[in-house]
Amino acid sequence: MKSQFTDLGRRQFMERFASLCLGVRIAANPALAQAAASGGKAKSVICLYMRGGISHIDTFDPKPGKPEMAGVKAIKTSADDVQISEWFPRFAKQMHHVTLVRSMTSTQGIHELGAYSAHTSYFMTPTIKHPAMGSWALKLLGSKNKVLPGNVLINGSPQHPGCGYMESHLAPLPIVDPAAGLQNSAMMNGFSVSDADRRTALAQAMGARFVDHTPHRDVGAYLKIQKEAAALMKSEDLKVFDISQENEKTREAYGKHTFGQGCLLARRLVEAGVRFIEVEDDQNWDTHNDQIESMENMTPSADQTMATLLDDLHQRGLLQNTLVMMITEFGRTPRINEATAGRGHHPGVFTWWLAGGGMKGGYAHGLSDEIGERVAEKPVTMPDFNATVAMALGMDLAHVEHSPSGRPFTVADKGKPVMELFA
Amino acid sequence: MMRSLLIFLLAAKTAGAAQDAPDFEKEVLPVLYHHCFSCHSEKQSKPKGGLLLDSVTGIQAGDVLVPGKPEASELLTRATLPINDEDVMPPLKGGAQPLSEADREVLRRWIASGASFGKWQKFDHRGPVMEISKAPTVVSELAVKIDGLVEEHHQKRGTHLNAPVSDEVFLRRVYLDVMGRIPSLEESRRFLDNKAGDKRSRLIDELINSQGYESHLFNWKADQLRLLTQGLPGQPGWLYDEWVKEAIHTSMPYDEYVRRLITANGYLWENGAVGFYVRDMGMPLDHMSNLTRVFLGTRIECAQCHDHPLQPVTQKDFYQMAAFTFGVTNMCSSAGFSEKNVKQWPEVKAKLDSMKADTALRQGVSRTIATLKRLTTDTGKSITFPETYEYDKTLRKKPVEARTLFGDEAPATEGDRREAFAAWLTSPRNPRFAVNIANRLWKRVMGVGLIEPVDSLSVLPAKEHAALMDILAQAMIQMKFDERSFTAALLNTRLYQSAAVRETPQPGVAFDLRGPQLRRLSAEQIWDSCLTLIVQDLDERKSLRRTDGSEIDPERLRKLSRMCAGEIIERAKDEMEYRKRNREFQLRLVEQSKERQAARDAGDEAKVKQLQSEHARENAEFFSPRLKAMQMGHGYVAKETDPRWKHLTFGMVRASEIPLPLALGHFLRQFGQSDRREIDAFNRDPNTTHSLALMNGELTGEILAKDSWLQRSLAASKANAQERVRLLYQAVLVREPADDEVAELAKLTQGSADPERDILWALLNSPEFLFLQ
Repeated sequence: MKSQFTDLGRRQFMERFASLCLGVRIAANPALAQAAASGGKAKSVICLYMRGGISHIDTFDPKPGKPEMAGVKAIKTSADDVQISEWFPRFAKQMHHVTLVRSMTSTQGIHELGAYSAHTSYFMTPTIKHPAMGSWALKLLGSKNKVLPGNVLINGSPQHPGCGYMESHLAPLPIVDPAAGLQNSAMMNGFSVSDADRRTALAQAMGARFVDHTPHRDVGAYLKIQKEAAALMKSEDLKVFDISQENEKTREAYGKHTFGQGCLLARRLVEAGVRFIEVEDDQNWDTHNDQIESMENMTPSADQTMATLLDDLHQRGLLQNTLVMMITEFGRTPRINEATAGRGHHPGVFTWWLAGGGMKGGYAHGLSDEIGERVAEKPVTMPDFNATVAMALGMDLAHVEHSPSGRPFTVADKGKPVMELFA
Repeated sequence: MMRSLLIFLLAAKTAGAAQDAPDFEKEVLPVLYHHCFSCHSEKQSKPKGGLLLDSVTGIQAGDVLVPGKPEASELLTRATLPINDEDVMPPLKGGAQPLSEADREVLRRWIASGASFGKWQKFDHRGPVMEISKAPTVVSELAVKIDGLVEEHHQKRGTHLNAPVSDEVFLRRVYLDVMGRIPSLEESRRFLDNKAGDKRSRLIDELINSQGYESHLFNWKADQLRLLTQGLPGQPGWLYDEWVKEAIHTSMPYDEYVRRLITANGYLWENGAVGFYVRDMGMPLDHMSNLTRVFLGTRIECAQCHDHPLQPVTQKDFYQMAAFTFGVTNMCSSAGFSEKNVKQWPEVKAKLDSMKADTALRQGVSRTIATLKRLTTDTGKSITFPETYEYDKTLRKKPVEARTLFGDEAPATEGDRREAFAAWLTSPRNPRFAVNIANRLWKRVMGVGLIEPVDSLSVLPAKEHAALMDILAQAMIQMKFDERSFTAALLNTRLYQSAAVRETPQPGVAFDLRGPQLRRLSAEQIWDSCLTLIVQDLDERKSLRRTDGSEIDPERLRKLSRMCAGEIIERAKDEMEYRKRNREFQLRLVEQSKERQAARDAGDEAKVKQLQSEHARENAEFFSPRLKAMQMGHGYVAKETDPRWKHLTFGMVRASEIPLPLALGHFLRQFGQSDRREIDAFNRDPNTTHSLALMNGELTGEILAKDSWLQRSLAASKANAQERVRLLYQAVLVREPADDEVAELAKLTQGSADPERDILWALLNSPEFLFLQ
């Protein structure tokens, strides 16, 4: 299922996409022609997931001087005209790599539903489970490294939609503790490779008998997964998961917490050719209580890790082909609740950002209104944003995939890519 | 698949219109309900375009229907536009779903065939109440009744039940479903050797009254209530777990269980049921969404922020429901102290003022009584419409009158809102309460609900299995909400004891009643099954965690809540003194470590040893007794004294005994145990990490070890090598190996130094171990 785009192929695809979805031909539209030239630059994605719904006005969409800010100040960044909250001083210095989308909007104000839409671009419905972006990427593009899983989820929640209705080998490989690497990948004490081979063959033979009279999809999947796990255990590539091979200075720079070490691992995986890596922050941004205090506690480590990741990718020359994105369920209410001193869920407007992979840097797209309550200009939906990422990776937005029950789906639902985000 | 659907649609189009005219109420109404009523019904204060589609008069007045002419009927034409057309109905912007091809076809055929409404006049948004009718109350009679209805179902369709299962398959299945684990070798032998004709129903009786049943049911309920043993900040959250366990243990009827949760008052250490509110502190709206979903099988959370896009449930409906529980103290605030939560507070405050207490003492007092803030009780507080309420601006910030969403009304005064609500919710007349629990318990053992998803109950009648669902709900009521008897009846059916459906279930396709659905075990079932092979008498081993002498010792908290103001201030002073000394102690620890390091650096090993023992003595005398006396420590793990388990770590207990949240790397989390952030947030999808855990993980190592319960049982059996292989199969997969399987094993283990170890390892790693069949 892997499609390898040559430059010509990519251009043809972009033309086809444009005429199909937008009803225009590339030649007639300079913005699209430009996007076609840059689209598909990204080879890998690192998706940062801020669990709980990170406040937009306390972070990347500050409203200087407004009472809603509760005294928090805005600071200058390395990009002219773009200010962010004083709680992100290091990230501010990387702003020339970043495109903020300050006009994100959604209708899903519940964690579970917001997280689902953010990952899949679809609304949660009781009749089908949609795949997350990583599975789409693996399905449509494959992965450069044949032994390592192409889709990795670091510190993910159990509710992550995973591969949805798609085949389970497209599901993300979960890494629970990035510092510990891939759990249980070391052979048991006193076990030789030939022991492992013999035992695996035995388990495969037993499993085959069961699979024979059990058509249930997951049963066959377990047999297949076991084979892959056995191959992985013997592979040289397993070292990629071992972040202790990085020097102490680098590990410190990323931050010694799960999110920091997870981002470091993500960078190693990008180097090894893994297609899609998601890292979930281990902090909970669901700040219903004591907004200011909570943000004071949580922002320093997030700031450090995000800034270091961008800088490190840039220094290594990886940023041009690696798209980094930060997503979350929703924003938070501009008004601070008097009783709890916290902010509630707010899907009306919020900020996501992306960097690298052929996207603009030092750019803030769209506007929220003066207190950050509604979209003022250029609304972008989660499907729109994800369609932009899919296009940056060179995925065919018009390609239809059918679920086992025959329902047709496309990557990023019907999202329209935001062409202004491409460099 | 797609092609056959197309052919079907084409066939439907060309067939004679009259004989396959869709029944309005059964086929057309659900389409209107899910796709149109959110904007075009009397539920909205201002139906869009003034169009009402929930009554015959409304539809006719709207001029959207031309009987016999689908292409001239706007009802259809607007709904069949391409989905990116601006005029398509329903508008997708608000989260609505477009009509499926099948839905459109139903509408088309209905209009083409003359658009008859039958007897229907108007949609009843509140729906009917539950009419009580007779149902069997004896376990065996209910089982027979169910089988009768299943038989009818198959006769009508010309289908039939799957073949009856063998004793072995039944044994493994019923152990996993009831006990949440595989049977031990001894338990298997006892059942399989038994020659009695009614041994299956006897086993069901035995299991349903066992500790294993309680443990397994607890996991199920904990996932619904999102129990977080150690996750309630500053509160002894485990007392809520304990309350649920006790309710299960004493067979509290389900309706009483729900009533007690909803009407709970007091502190956690007086009444663990208040955890129901403490768990959702500061989230009054989510609390109502969760409650409705778990107890009524109804999802209304969309309506928290706006009218529901897929159902005629308005934001107003939601607020009216939330009004019943909104006034509970913990629901809205992380507030400070008041007479309401800490009854001594006015006196404490006056005393602090009169003694001109400094900030340090005030903070000390606050800290001492912080746990007491979480008193669950009613305030007179009413919920108000949000200031952004967009459906009727005059209502903004106005108080909301409590009102039920469907069925009976439940008039309430400020003082008895929760009682009135609980009485309505758990009443036999409530059309969804008994249905919900009956359907969920059915799914628990059959693998698929009669209504799926289990939280999709609405005013619309069930599409499939209506008669069966009704008898189950009636029986639930007649059995006085006794979950044990109800479950026992299901297990005694021929349906349950038939071979499993082995295909992947298709979403949207009704359960076809051939046999239980094959499915992967839950994380807890896999853990508990592995532990069955490691731990003797597993169900009897309980958690070794203790809280006596700690800050969250219920006895200490009880004392504290009864103290007078003076005692509280004294206690605060003591604790402050303790913290001061503790800080000194921490500094001393650093010093000690430096002293030892210095000795080590000087190469004086004898000095190091001497210092070590000196320091240990110093610390034991100074610190530990004080910690205990002051009740300032955290919990601790008691020493195992039972000889059966002395060699085991304290974590080797059933999943229900392990406090949550667990670290992500724990076996249970790896296999998809819920993190209890959301209802039923477990995950059973296959993943590479599962294979790695079973290949190389800790539990596999423990099972292979010499002192595992399995290895000790094998040794005690004195079986020869051949018999031992059979016993391994029995222990792990609860079946005999086939003859050709034995031959294959022999071939594949040729040249192995330890074939038996290989086989045991492979059995644990065979997918068969992970599935319930």
